[in-house]
Amino acid sequence: MPFGRPCGLRLRSKLERCIERILLIATAIAAVAIISILLLLAYFCLPLFTSGELGEVFSRRWQPFAGSYGILPMCAGSFAISLLALFLAFPGAVAICFFVHSLAPAPAAGLLKTLVHFMTGIPTVIYGFVSVFLLVPLMRDWLSAGTGFTLLTAAITLSLLILPTIVLVFQARLERIDPTLTLASAALGFTPIEQVRHVLIPASAQGLLVAAILGFGRAIGDTLISLMLAGNAAQFPVSLFVSIRTLTAHIALVLATDSQSMAYRSVFAAGLVLFLLMGMINLLIQRIGRADNEKTYEKDR
Amino acid sequence: MEKVVTNPAIVVEELCVEFSGKTVLENVSLTILPAELHVIIGPSGSGKSTLLRAINRLNEFFPNCRTSGLVRIRLDGHLVDIYARDAPPLPELRRRVAMVFQTPAVLPFSIEKNMTMPLKVTLGLRGGELRERMEWALRQVGLWDEVEARLLDEATTLSGGQQQRLCLARALALGPQVLLVDEPTASLDFRATETIEQLLVDLKDRYTIIAVSHSLSQARRLADRLWVLREGRVMQQMNRRQLQDAALFQEIIDNIF
Repeated sequence: MPFGRPCGLRLRSKLERCIERILLIATAIAAVAIISILLLLAYFCLPLFTSGELGEVFSRRWQPFAGSYGILPMCAGSFAISLLALFLAFPGAVAICFFVHSLAPAPAAGLLKTLVHFMTGIPTVIYGFVSVFLLVPLMRDWLSAGTGFTLLTAAITLSLLILPTIVLVFQARLERIDPTLTLASAALGFTPIEQVRHVLIPASAQGLLVAAILGFGRAIGDTLISLMLAGNAAQFPVSLFVSIRTLTAHIALVLATDSQSMAYRSVFAAGLVLFLLMGMINLLIQRIGRADNEKTYEKDR
Repeated sequence: MEKVVTNPAIVVEELCVEFSGKTVLENVSLTILPAELHVIIGPSGSGKSTLLRAINRLNEFFPNCRTSGLVRIRLDGHLVDIYARDAPPLPELRRRVAMVFQTPAVLPFSIEKNMTMPLKVTLGLRGGELRERMEWALRQVGLWDEVEARLLDEATTLSGGQQQRLCLARALALGPQVLLVDEPTASLDFRATETIEQLLVDLKDRYTIIAVSHSLSQARRLADRLWVLREGRVMQQMNRRQLQDAALFQEIIDNIF
């Protein structure tokens, strides 16, 4: 059979087709799951749109017994806590990255990396638990911040939670930068600090942005820290020392106690807001990533 | 007649370099003269680049490096032991012993910023002086006319040969006394290689140049003095006369490789 393919090759191509199909099915399941979640959220939110209750949900007051179901304080709470946590964690995380990458002696760099990896493995509830006994009394007694369950308390703890995310993402970016860049700047007579300041920071600016956005996304998606530490009062974050409630904590609290009322439906609006927000964050990161990949100084091109 | 060495530019004595306990250079001794083009050749892994980097202490950039022996460089008329305690600080040493790499190491900025930023950061130059120095250096490498109208373009938009000349100009702008060139034409086409080679010949009267080459024919064309390295040792030193004798050159190279 002069034109036939050898048996081994035929078998291999069959196997490859089979693997391709399995992968396609897995991808399809994941995509369908995500789309279903979005559709389900939209379906549950639909009564809000049709009955004209949307304005009520996106209003400024949450007083279910008085018939006010506004989730805007929770939206503001989520933003405030996430921005504050990012503000607290970002400088430290970036400093750790540059220290490990360029400045630290090898043993110190190794130790710090291990510590950051260890931090990623600590369950969120431990952070919350420790903060309840350490940070909350501190806030209450030293800063006279009411019960101690405040925006600042939760944001400080949340900053510890998102710090490893920022470090690992940015560290990966820094490692992708061509090592000849730092070698070349060392050969030009730059001190290590000058290398970081004049070469690494400008060359990794987009990586910094991506790490910040991912850190923010991690913060806004977290439930337990704000639930345990922010006090859960549905009010606007007018100061660092007020109790606030985040969207995630709101969902957890309402679902645990209610299943029929308008309050219950507000949970789906909160879910939809979170879902769309995370979707936007992901799109933003993808767009930045695409622009970044067009640059030629990264070592894999 | 061999030239009598009266004012060497660089003296290397019994230089040994190890990385993580693995010996890369062993008892290397050589004397570099001013106004000559020195070329080092050898098979991959023979320690050519390590020898170059020992002369501006760039090996220390890599982890677990140990260097012993002497490297003395003539700076401002005096031979200075660059590994001694009272040696010039590393940034200053590296500015005066400049290096150009195998693949053009342009920074991810504009052509202008590639030239001016190192001058600002390391020498503190500003304004007109900065621009003058940039233009002078770009003219030295014959790049000024090609980039004058596009100084604000990304340096990565230049061709490989232009990028390598930009790197050379950036190094020259810092006012070095020694130029270390590590396989500068390895990633370039024939024409760009010719330009860089001519540049090195033109510059050798003003700078002490040591080049690593991957090509025997290039080494023969360029070198006033040639060292052949193998497994971290200097196997042979050849002068211009020996290099011009094609049969002798071939015989020596055949014996070593």
